[in-house]
Amino acid sequence: MGAAGSKLEKALGDQFPEGERYFGLENFGNTCYCNSVLQALYFCAPFREQLLEFYANSKNIGDAEENLLTCLADLFTQISSQKKKTGVIAPKRFVQRLKKQNELFRSYMHQDAHEFLNFLLNELVDILEKEAQAVKSEPETSSPPEKTANGPKHAQANGVSKEPLVTWVHKNFQGILTNETRCLQCETVTARDETFFDLSLDIEQNSSITSCLKNFSSTETLNAEDKFFCDKCCSLQEAQKRMKIKKPPHILVIHLKRFKYIEQLGRYKKLSYRVVFPLELKLSNTVEDADIEYSLFAVVVHVGSGPNHGHYVSLVKSHNHWLFFDDENVEMIDESAVQTFFGSAQEYSSNTDHGYILFYESIGASNNKS
Amino acid sequence: MINSSNGMISTSSTSANTQSPGLKTYFKTPEGRYKLHYEKTHPSGLLHYAHGKTVTQGTLAIIKDKPAPSTPMAPPSGFSTGSGVRSAAARLLGASNGSRALSFVGGNGGSKSISSSSSSGSSSSRIGSLGTSCSSNSMINSNFDGKGTYLIFNVGDAIFITDLNSQDKEDPIKSIHFSNSNPVCHAFDQDAKDGHDLLIGFSSGDVYSVSLRQQLQDVGKKLVGAHHYNKDGSVNNSRCMSIAWVPGGDGAFVVAHADGNLYVYEKSKDGAGDSSFPVIKDQTQFSVSHARYSKSNPIARWHICQGSINGIAFSNEGAYLATVGRDGYLRVFDYSKEQLICGGKSYYGALLCCAWSMDAKYILTGGEDDLVQVWSMEDRKVVAWGEGHNSWVSGVAFDSYWSSPNSDGTGENVVYRFGSVGQDTQLLLWDLEMDEIVVPLRRCPGGSPTFSTGSQSSHWDSVIPVGTLQPAPSMRDVPKLSPVVAHRVHTEPLSGLVFTQECVLTVCREGHVKIWMRPGASDSQSGNSETIPSTSLKEKPLLSSKLGSSTYKQ
Repeated sequence: MGAAGSKLEKALGDQFPEGERYFGLENFGNTCYCNSVLQALYFCAPFREQLLEFYANSKNIGDAEENLLTCLADLFTQISSQKKKTGVIAPKRFVQRLKKQNELFRSYMHQDAHEFLNFLLNELVDILEKEAQAVKSEPETSSPPEKTANGPKHAQANGVSKEPLVTWVHKNFQGILTNETRCLQCETVTARDETFFDLSLDIEQNSSITSCLKNFSSTETLNAEDKFFCDKCCSLQEAQKRMKIKKPPHILVIHLKRFKYIEQLGRYKKLSYRVVFPLELKLSNTVEDADIEYSLFAVVVHVGSGPNHGHYVSLVKSHNHWLFFDDENVEMIDESAVQTFFGSAQEYSSNTDHGYILFYESIGASNNKS
Repeated sequence: MINSSNGMISTSSTSANTQSPGLKTYFKTPEGRYKLHYEKTHPSGLLHYAHGKTVTQGTLAIIKDKPAPSTPMAPPSGFSTGSGVRSAAARLLGASNGSRALSFVGGNGGSKSISSSSSSGSSSSRIGSLGTSCSSNSMINSNFDGKGTYLIFNVGDAIFITDLNSQDKEDPIKSIHFSNSNPVCHAFDQDAKDGHDLLIGFSSGDVYSVSLRQQLQDVGKKLVGAHHYNKDGSVNNSRCMSIAWVPGGDGAFVVAHADGNLYVYEKSKDGAGDSSFPVIKDQTQFSVSHARYSKSNPIARWHICQGSINGIAFSNEGAYLATVGRDGYLRVFDYSKEQLICGGKSYYGALLCCAWSMDAKYILTGGEDDLVQVWSMEDRKVVAWGEGHNSWVSGVAFDSYWSSPNSDGTGENVVYRFGSVGQDTQLLLWDLEMDEIVVPLRRCPGGSPTFSTGSQSSHWDSVIPVGTLQPAPSMRDVPKLSPVVAHRVHTEPLSGLVFTQECVLTVCREGHVKIWMRPGASDSQSGNSETIPSTSLKEKPLLSSKLGSSTYKQ
């Protein structure tokens, strides 16, 4: 019965998960975009696990050069090794590094959480790949390319093959889309694969994520000025194009395109549309009828009516409890409160808290996670 | 837009503001046009802070032609536990209980201006227009027999009762506001033997039963003659999700809660009975506990699932009870045996609503996978998925009044018509013809040695054992249906629909109800579809009292 126990600790009581830490993150002036995404990533169980493992391993190697990866690993380790169960941490080193690395995030302006997530994941991949190459070039360690990148499917390429390295970031977040284009003249289907870390979906008023995903994969006809150059016909032809998910990612990140450029206004506008997202989801727009089930574990919420100002908070599911992270503050919320972040059916509404980035984890494949 | 002689509904100025101009006032089906006849809503001035936290549900109530009890306000004749009711009524009318008590406040709270303009003034005139002579100055319309068809809907902290045949848009006969909790679900029993026919469930878990007739007779703004159950959530303090009378259950009713429990009550018993139930050992298992004392009310608790029970429905005769919930499972129980018979999981996500076909052969469910699911009781599995909604499916119902235009009456080719509404603001109508459903080609069942579940087997082979819940079917294994018609009926997400003989009612979450006339239901079918002479409708009541027994709320 610690007198220092926070409100959250009291709310959870003896249900406080063993070994779990719930820490708010200090805001250094408009860094909520960063805090909200970091919380979502911290509660992405496989990502956190691997990052902590990376940290433990890299400590043995010695003091490596500081980069975003080491800063993030450092921050996550700092949170997970706290003596107290709840509290506030200042992600100072991480934010400093981020600002040093990318001038976009240097100002005190309101930033886009999705852009940050995208930048961060790509940056982590770059660092891991560079490290792997450095290890590879050292003659004595020629067997596995890199400790953390020894994916079973990763064919070890001979020489300077451009085979991309599969890092643990890839293993968690990467999916493959296939862009099928069917020439309406010769019926030839051209398929082009591309990888993704998240899906950016166009949204409609009073729709669901399921419906947005369907639209994402719906067949589009290329005609008039937007014809397709068919290699077989050797000319521009009308064609049908559609995107399918060839390889669903383990962690499915869905970005709702709530900020839309309105030409008449000459600026971006926030769409407050009501887009419902279920706590469980299956992808039906896959190449194979995989019926893989996903479970929602985090939502980054944009608060505010416009794109250039506002606030970010996040909802996170940890050990079957939902938590609300607002910079320094952490609160427990009921599962049913998630639906208050769907958006509004009317254009002008007092509710401006809208789900912006959704994090789903595939269940079934790794059932041991709660 | 529809014009009416008294100009009280949907005149262009008001409708343009509240309704999106993009919404059409009719939709076409193979059998003809359905036309927007009129709308019902709450007086907009009464919008309350609680608005938005609750979802509007609509219940249709038909009060049959029966002489009014001569002593209104007193318990209706034949009510056995008169004293209990009387004391409950006294408590409620006192309206100043302890701080935690659920008390009633006048319909308009502090805003006097509204009450003078709409509700109170009109309640007597409305009743007057029904053709009964009312003594206007009396608090009680003792001669008012209440006969008619009413629509009961909840918005925010209030229950509204409106005459379905009246075309007044924002003029409920009665509005009852509650101060401590919001009404969230309701049910009406037109075959109630004694007075209490209306049930109201609250977000606090509290439940009331009242006589609808008695509410209509009383011109006050409080619930009168109410019987209070689960007072202050003493038995269960989680939100009421769905409430239903047990068909032929002699005054028994069930209340489903957000914590996965369902309680069985008997209205003849005093609600203050001491009921305690053992702790649920396994949240994931279905279990039934009976009250230890005969005087207790509720008399039983059914623990159904983990998480919320989102919807319940009895089959027409009351033999079966279907439930849907947060865990995505449809469960079908033999009600009298208190036994789980069958059920299955949604494709993914929670199920939100369910409804039976009149012959109890099929159950519709709708949920967060945007699908309308058709469950066959004979096959004990999903036989079709309706694809067409762009968001969650929040209401489903079979249209028991519809008959196939091509039906030859041989009964060989049974076609079921059903409807669904969703958070995509659309009403979809579907035809289910079992012979026509194309069963997708299956992979060779012998191909996989690990193949064991019955979910993929065709209905003529393996019989699924009683009480087995089916896993979610695979997308390729379930035949798909396409809607006959899809129509955007409101600007807000929808929450329910009701079929009557002459119309379809669509209800949106924010408390607007639209009444769509069936083709042929109005005399102005030919040519000018935009205006319906209101006189023709007055001559021909929307619902005759005869169809009372077969009208149902999904």
